[in-house]
Amino acid sequence: MSSLEIKHLFGLRGVSKHDIRLILDHAKQFREILERPVKKVPSLRGMTVVNLFFENSTRTRTSFELAEKRLSADTVNFASSNSSVKKGETLVDTLRNIEAMKIDIVVVRHKGTGVPKFLADNSNAIIVNAGDGAHEHPTQALLDMLTIEEKLGTLEGKNVTIIGDIRHSRVARSNLWGMSTMGAHVTLCGPSTLVPRNTDLMNHVTWEPDIKKAVANADAIIALRLQKERMDDALLPSMREYRNTFGITDELLECAKDKVIIMHPGPINRGVELDSDIADGEHSVILDQVTNGVAVRMAVLFLLAGGRNNENA
Amino acid sequence: MKMRKPSSSEFPIAVLKNAKFWNGKSFELRDEVRLTSGQNGDTIEYDCKGALVLPALFGFGLDFMEPLRDDVYTCADGVDAMLRGGFYGGLYESAANPIDDADKLTAAENRFSSFGCLGSSFDIKFLGAYSKGFGTDSLAEMMELAESDAVAGFGDGNGVIPHSRFLRLAMEYGKMTGKRFFFQPMDKTLRHSGCVHEGAYSDMLGMKGIPRIAETIAAYTVLETARFLQVPVHFKQVTCGETLELVRDARKKGMDVTCDVGLYHLLLDDSCLETLDSAYHILPPIRSAADRDALWQGVVDGTINAISVNHTPVLRQDTVVNFEDSVPGALSLEVALPAIWNKLVAKVGEARAIELLSTAPARLAGSTPVANNVVVFAPDKPHVVVESDFAGHVCNSPLLGAELPSSILAVYINGFWKEL
Repeated sequence: MSSLEIKHLFGLRGVSKHDIRLILDHAKQFREILERPVKKVPSLRGMTVVNLFFENSTRTRTSFELAEKRLSADTVNFASSNSSVKKGETLVDTLRNIEAMKIDIVVVRHKGTGVPKFLADNSNAIIVNAGDGAHEHPTQALLDMLTIEEKLGTLEGKNVTIIGDIRHSRVARSNLWGMSTMGAHVTLCGPSTLVPRNTDLMNHVTWEPDIKKAVANADAIIALRLQKERMDDALLPSMREYRNTFGITDELLECAKDKVIIMHPGPINRGVELDSDIADGEHSVILDQVTNGVAVRMAVLFLLAGGRNNENA
Repeated sequence: MKMRKPSSSEFPIAVLKNAKFWNGKSFELRDEVRLTSGQNGDTIEYDCKGALVLPALFGFGLDFMEPLRDDVYTCADGVDAMLRGGFYGGLYESAANPIDDADKLTAAENRFSSFGCLGSSFDIKFLGAYSKGFGTDSLAEMMELAESDAVAGFGDGNGVIPHSRFLRLAMEYGKMTGKRFFFQPMDKTLRHSGCVHEGAYSDMLGMKGIPRIAETIAAYTVLETARFLQVPVHFKQVTCGETLELVRDARKKGMDVTCDVGLYHLLLDDSCLETLDSAYHILPPIRSAADRDALWQGVVDGTINAISVNHTPVLRQDTVVNFEDSVPGALSLEVALPAIWNKLVAKVGEARAIELLSTAPARLAGSTPVANNVVVFAPDKPHVVVESDFAGHVCNSPLLGAELPSSILAVYINGFWKEL
């Protein structure tokens, strides 16, 4: 089968291995195209994509916008800070107004869990989740998976350790679902106030509170961004203690495999979750993640739009 | 204020034929029973075709929003909903309109009587506020409020339980009234910004959870204060087995503690969150399957005294948003009996089912049921819930679109007859 089983991309929980494989394989092809002098393909010519961002975003929005332009789609950016949302317009009214302008795909980021599904339930557009609350950020996880496959050959049987604020991280949730589906073994590590409290979710992964043990067998380490608000909310005492306990340092990497790769969804708090030497060092694949982000988003948009085109044919 | 008179017919005499009537112990088939409201007037005859005729219900957890939010719902809507659902009375407590002095009580009573005799026919009891404006600075005029038989006790408007000193003072003063204090136990600091049960599904979905200890710690604070002061208390809409354990322990110590459970807390568990449907946004939160089982155990062993409808209207525009931004609440008066009857009967039998839905909440609120107020009910006739089943212009219910196993065929309350 060469088309996706899903009609929208809300998250990676429940998405089949077939669909993830298809997206990653297409992303690899788009990755090659991105290395060419002419990086544009006509796949989405005539289609309109709206980037509906209710939360601030620089790199994800830019990555989506580039992906859309590389696919020759017409692109419209919508930011809530300068929209009717500020004037009290409801989410569904915003969507219906935009939809009335005959758009085909909506890429949405919102603080609320489930907003992409809500929009899909209330419109005919294809919906792509660019991050909903602490729920999922599927394209980030897909680009992480692409990067691991690119660097390590496969996800099957690889040990991936995710360190940091797991509880509030949509990136961690998407990664643990997606990577588990693809046969990787995921270990979570972080302060006890920042990891999920209930075991059901943890049944899918290994929880290792000792960071040295957590990185010892890792083939890939994903450090999550630590938000300053966590200190204000009394979830952590200080950035300093976090760095000393859960930060990725040269000293910590002495406990890890020689060929371990270091990843981060960005933006990095240098000297907190990652030391600068590590972020810029030989283990870091952070900039590869950024490039792969465009390729993965091209693949997602291409395949979802292709599914709709097949339906309409 | 909108004035929509509920649609019903006045027939002071109803002759019900071929029905199984509740005789206080069991249902017995009778060819004909004549019900009168004590007034002269027209008679209606109705063939029940073997349906059950059971005592009309008494609803805990009513809030019809008037006067501040009569754009959402009115007392007329509420009475219409009660009639549709077979409720002859209920315990009313408005979160937005605290009844903290006698004038406000009179105003609340007048709202029900202002649209005619139908409104006056329902036995509405009120929870007075124990503080002014549900605040924590000043006590409400509890002694004056308690002079009215319509005041069943004192409540918190489903808000947070105040700081311990004010709680003590309120109960200490309110003890003079002899009335019961009603609390929905919830520690606001532990609730924080949570909107769903803290558990497997909140973790999976990345939604902020409300832990069980938010309820148990608040309940424990109330119980200790009540034990110290010897004041009777009632917990509204208990959601977990741990709180029921506290209630059991308190009773063993001789305390006068009662509690109720919300309709939807017996019907649902937090797996419903997977749908991300704002219809399931209910407070206190729907908890896990294990909690639901513990609540059913509390129903079976008698720890739970009553089933609450917690009828909370929400405008459509406040539900057609993503879950976390939606306004919590669900309608239930119209669907409670058909949704819960068969499950209740299977667990506790018909007599206890009637007690939980009618006589026990009525007793706690100081209402005396009238024998001629009845519901004609078909337990095995399925019914798909549609928008028009609900009174008013709102329809926020997780049961909208669901097929209920039973149907209400007709109700007769103080001379008002309605066929559904």
